[in-house]
Amino acid sequence: MSKIARTAGKVLLGIVAAALSFFIVTFTIYFFNLDMKATAMLEPFFEKWYDKLERRQYI
Amino acid sequence: MKTVQKVVNPVRRAGEQSPAGIYDENLKVRKRREWRGVKDTFYDYTRWLYLVSVLAKFIAVPRNIKGFFRYRWMMSYLFVMHGMDKFTIGLRDEALRIAHTSFNFVIADVTQAIANCFRGDRRVGNDKKYSDACVITDENSMVTFMMGFDTNKVHTILREVPTMFASNIFHQFNVMHYLDIAQQYGIPGDVCPMPEAEAGISIEDDFCVLGSCAVQNNTTCDGSLMGNGIIAKRLEREYGIPTFQLATPLRHKEPDVLDYAAEEIKKAIAFVEEHTGVKWDWDIYFNAAKRVNDATRCRIAQMEINSTPYPQFFGAAFSLYNDTNYMGNSGRNADFVTIDHKLLELAEKGYQAKRMYAKEYRHRCIVWGVQPQYVIDMLYWMVQCWGVVPLTDMLSVINTDMIADEDTPENREQAYRDMAMLNMEMIMRNHTHGGYKVLLDDLWDLCEKMNADIVMMWEHMSCKALTGMHGMFEEQARERGIHIMWVSHDLCDPRVFTRQAIRDQVNSYMRTVMREEPLDPALEIIPDNEAY
Amino acid sequence: MRDLKYLKYFEDLLQQANNELVEQAKAEGKVCVAYTCENVPEPLLNLDRAVSVRLSAPNTGSLDIATYYMTNLLCEPSRALLERAIEGGFNFADCVITPDGCTMMNRAVENMELLKTMGKNNPNFFHEYMEIAFKNTENDVNLAVLQCTNHILNPLREKYGIDVSDAAIRKSVEDHNRLCRLVRELGEFRKEAKPRITGYEFHVFCLATYMCPKYLVEEKLAETIEEVRNREPDDKPWRARVLVVGSEVDDSGLIKLIEEQGAFVCCDRFCFGSYPGRTEIVLNDDEDALTQVCRHYITNCQCPRMMSMDKVYGRKKYVADLAKEYGADGIIYQQVKFCDPWAYERTLGSAMLQADYGYPVLSVDRPYNVSSSVGQMRTRVQAFVESIEIKTIQKGGRS
Repeated sequence: MSKIARTAGKVLLGIVAAALSFFIVTFTIYFFNLDMKATAMLEPFFEKWYDKLERRQYI
Repeated sequence: MKTVQKVVNPVRRAGEQSPAGIYDENLKVRKRREWRGVKDTFYDYTRWLYLVSVLAKFIAVPRNIKGFFRYRWMMSYLFVMHGMDKFTIGLRDEALRIAHTSFNFVIADVTQAIANCFRGDRRVGNDKKYSDACVITDENSMVTFMMGFDTNKVHTILREVPTMFASNIFHQFNVMHYLDIAQQYGIPGDVCPMPEAEAGISIEDDFCVLGSCAVQNNTTCDGSLMGNGIIAKRLEREYGIPTFQLATPLRHKEPDVLDYAAEEIKKAIAFVEEHTGVKWDWDIYFNAAKRVNDATRCRIAQMEINSTPYPQFFGAAFSLYNDTNYMGNSGRNADFVTIDHKLLELAEKGYQAKRMYAKEYRHRCIVWGVQPQYVIDMLYWMVQCWGVVPLTDMLSVINTDMIADEDTPENREQAYRDMAMLNMEMIMRNHTHGGYKVLLDDLWDLCEKMNADIVMMWEHMSCKALTGMHGMFEEQARERGIHIMWVSHDLCDPRVFTRQAIRDQVNSYMRTVMREEPLDPALEIIPDNEAY
Repeated sequence: MRDLKYLKYFEDLLQQANNELVEQAKAEGKVCVAYTCENVPEPLLNLDRAVSVRLSAPNTGSLDIATYYMTNLLCEPSRALLERAIEGGFNFADCVITPDGCTMMNRAVENMELLKTMGKNNPNFFHEYMEIAFKNTENDVNLAVLQCTNHILNPLREKYGIDVSDAAIRKSVEDHNRLCRLVRELGEFRKEAKPRITGYEFHVFCLATYMCPKYLVEEKLAETIEEVRNREPDDKPWRARVLVVGSEVDDSGLIKLIEEQGAFVCCDRFCFGSYPGRTEIVLNDDEDALTQVCRHYITNCQCPRMMSMDKVYGRKKYVADLAKEYGADGIIYQQVKFCDPWAYERTLGSAMLQADYGYPVLSVDRPYNVSSSVGQMRTRVQAFVESIEIKTIQKGGRS
């Protein structure tokens, strides 16, 4: 097998591995709803932040 | 009483049989996502990825981050994916694809609307040139008066849509803060919470401030009309943004109001021209009119499919998409045409394959009244838990007439009447206003046409136009042998009726009046009252 | 002060919609045109043989049947009217003309129509619904002219042979103006430092002019003015002078309750009050009378439903001007519970009258019949009167 073919094979393998890792990580996040669980944990901090903001309440 | 033939689904659902397993009372979001079988789960996953990319693109713009930290309502958009889960509960095959196609398109549209708001907002992007080309309008505005303006030169900003309307779908509690503010300033708690919350946002100074001018209207109700005064005062007096009140007659079926309404449209157009410096273009208008007609044809076709034993496009996605397309778009954006046809194609495919949303369809139902924002997944729940299939909702029963779409001298005059007619026949108000016939008689006609045996009556307790006909609904339904199932709620205030309290009204009707057992008993009680 | 000769008589007239003057008018062959909203031009309902009678439901007790039809979420006036209609209290009406003004009142009348509560023995009986103007423009005047033609004049002519000519309208406006002058003249006494008429008394007389055929109350009203002119006012000073603004006040008990707390109701700016309802209509000979009447109603309209911002700001200025003219120390913004238009108007009005015009404001909601909530209302008014007194003392005024 030529050097070029070996390199191409490695690159391809790398792409497949990266794609697979991407899939595994993102699918895990997706399926176990980790995205929403994480944001739900942040929500109380944001609430406090918005409460602290000064606004000109006026009718 | 009228009965309909039961339709049994011969196909076992792919993946898990009940979505009940995804709920957890200790969590404010779902425990996990639904297993829909390999093919559909993978499809759902790719749509999730697509939404992640839309949001990532949005947040990559620094001014959007600034906006995020300025506006409380932006917190809701942390939960867009949670919204996606509500719109796809228990769905498979074409139904899942229809829900994603429509929902994801609307989300992309709303995301763009927020980005536009932040770009022009004096506190965030402060792009003055862009802001000067913006016209802000209400959440309940038909934007027909913008149909003839070049969208590259004038930007229509439905400021209240991302701020209040859409954000409440993702986060059921987010409006409560603004309701409290409004009530703290003296607005009573018995008015419709939607315009009340919008007034609260204005009082709290939590609207983006942009635009060369604003156009308000009275399209929905007394509350909406009155809330505008509070909002306009701040716009005009504090921010120097001139406002125009586009008066829209209530008795829209009477021919003697049309000229008045058309004249109002002319004035609104002249107002926009004056403040943006951009002229109305008839070529643009008639192209938009063609798209309006195309959307109407697609909607009629969807309703025809829904009249068969195998309805395909209904529930939250149907309603949200129709609202956005009919009212917020009004033919201005060509992308909707592609989506319209894609949705129709999916529905036709589903119909041919006799796809069903549940194990059985026991009842065919017309959903009338105004749905609550915070339990947007209700209709999907209803079909899966009880086999009651919602053929259409009231908000989706809108204009079916074609408007003039060829540019001729006569049609230019007709165009103002067409715009006026569409404006008057905006979603909801085309049934809640204009005399009792459009509220009562239209419903019974629809029951006949779509072969419905049950009406699920959303009784939005602050909607006086609806509750004012309560007794008549009961009496006339009885005369016609149609079951009427009352489901009370307070639109966007979950403190009055929780989600389960809303579902329990259906549960109790189905058990006590219909003497039936649920198709999926695990769904009868869902622990999502505290979830976003 | 000595009791007014006709006070009891007018109080009695307000006890039911089908009062003795309405019966008298019917016996005289008049056509009774029932209506529910101040936005309908009154002179057009009083053409020729027609007499207008504003529907009301005094002494309302149970609202059970109306609540079944309309739920308990609609305002009490709309339910009270429906209940009274179902009971047969409006059978004297020969037609009902209703503007699609506020949703609830419109729904009340639609229920009356669907339930066929009126017109059982009258083949000419009709219901008409009108679109009413939203803004103060010529487009709105054109709309009003068309609506009045199609929904008032044409049906009255076709069904009852009423003369709806320009001359008839001018004659009706003349009669209307005569009545307006009487009501306003009576109201002028409220400007005095020691008023010779109470706000309650004035309210009774003013309200009767809407609920009775006008030609039958005029004489007694004129006599009352003379009586008041010669009346000795009380020496005891009022604790405060207040202007009452808001939804219709069909229950004079509300005005009485306010005055019992020492607050003299020096002026009224509510639906079916004297402002703007009893403003004279000035006609010229250059334009047809119908158009001028419609323009008058649109220009003078103070209904919160008018949505253009000139009207929104104008309504507050109108209140402030009245408060100044009548020497009010404070303003009471009141609304019937569940009334959407006045709920928002009360909120914005009370904020603007305080911030922009410097008036103390009491902002309050109430039931249709104040008797069901006397204690709460009394407490609110007492506190308001005290706060005005404290402010007056702080400013170095009377103690």
